[in-house]
Amino acid sequence: MTIGVIGMWVLALGALFLCLRRSPTVARRAVNEAGTSLVRVAPVMMMALPMAAFVSELIPAGWAERWLGPDSGAAGVALATLAGSVLPGGPFVAFPLVLGFLKSGAGPAQMVALISGWAVLGLHRTLSWELPILGPRFILLRLSASLVLPFLAGLAAEALLPLFPGAGLR
Amino acid sequence: MLRRHATFIVISLLTLSAAAAVLLLRGEAAFRHAIEATWGLVVTVAPSIIGGLLLSAALRQLVPPGALARWMGAESGLRGLLVATAAGMAMPGGPVAAFPVVLVLAQAGADRGALIAFVLAWSLNGFQRILVWELPILGHDFALLRLLCGLPLPVLAGLLARWLPIRWTPEDAPAFKPAPDKP
Repeated sequence: MTIGVIGMWVLALGALFLCLRRSPTVARRAVNEAGTSLVRVAPVMMMALPMAAFVSELIPAGWAERWLGPDSGAAGVALATLAGSVLPGGPFVAFPLVLGFLKSGAGPAQMVALISGWAVLGLHRTLSWELPILGPRFILLRLSASLVLPFLAGLAAEALLPLFPGAGLR
Repeated sequence: MLRRHATFIVISLLTLSAAAAVLLLRGEAAFRHAIEATWGLVVTVAPSIIGGLLLSAALRQLVPPGALARWMGAESGLRGLLVATAAGMAMPGGPVAAFPVVLVLAQAGADRGALIAFVLAWSLNGFQRILVWELPILGHDFALLRLLCGLPLPVLAGLLARWLPIRWTPEDAPAFKPAPDKP
């Protein structure tokens, strides 16, 4: 996580240095634009970030093994996709949660659908980052183009599961 | 202007409803726990937000408009979607870095199919997240199965996005600020 942030700052400062080499005006314009973006983006983000924390407090214990077991089939895959889309937080929340679900008996194909649903549809990420930065029209386009894909990934995982015997409980 | 405030109001209402639900269903301790988790999140992501927006703004000054049109433009075909997918997988950092970069790519001439493929490839199959989180936590069999099932999705979404009649330009983005003409 921190390595990613450091890498990004190195890239950002490198790009800013290239701007500065072009001319100080260009560098100042870059900094100004970044500041304007931040002021426009921050209010929505600050209201959206607490949502992840509140939603994770609302997840009831023991639902994954009951509804998303290995025998839950396509219905389980669909439900897992939906669950993934409302699963809040970054990878440091999502992957440990999925590990817990797998250990308590959820099916690997269903968990593939859940992670894909979280990554592709992730309501929380969409609302906290994509909406303030790119706007509602981009979200409409992206969701229309990708709505069924996590479900397809889950079905593909169900078909490929025999090739990956270690994908289940470790 | 009005639409931006509408967004803010909708998000605020959603967060407040979630907060009320936690308070009513889970009690005050859970509520306080959520507030503390939020504060931790803000402290963690603030450096990435500022770094990501700075990176985006600086790159927009450097990359001339239309520079990527040949690689990721509307005429780039399947190859353009594959290039965008590869770029998305290589993209480091969290959502705060990736979404501003979409603005850079769009201004440089990437079409909507390539932009969607980029976002999906980054969010589904970003190398950094797989290496740092998925592989160590869920093991190689699961990570490989998941990656295999996710690999074709960005290209599929890109094809769909090109086919759908929904237009999007960088001017539709709230974070976009057009560069004023140099005097």
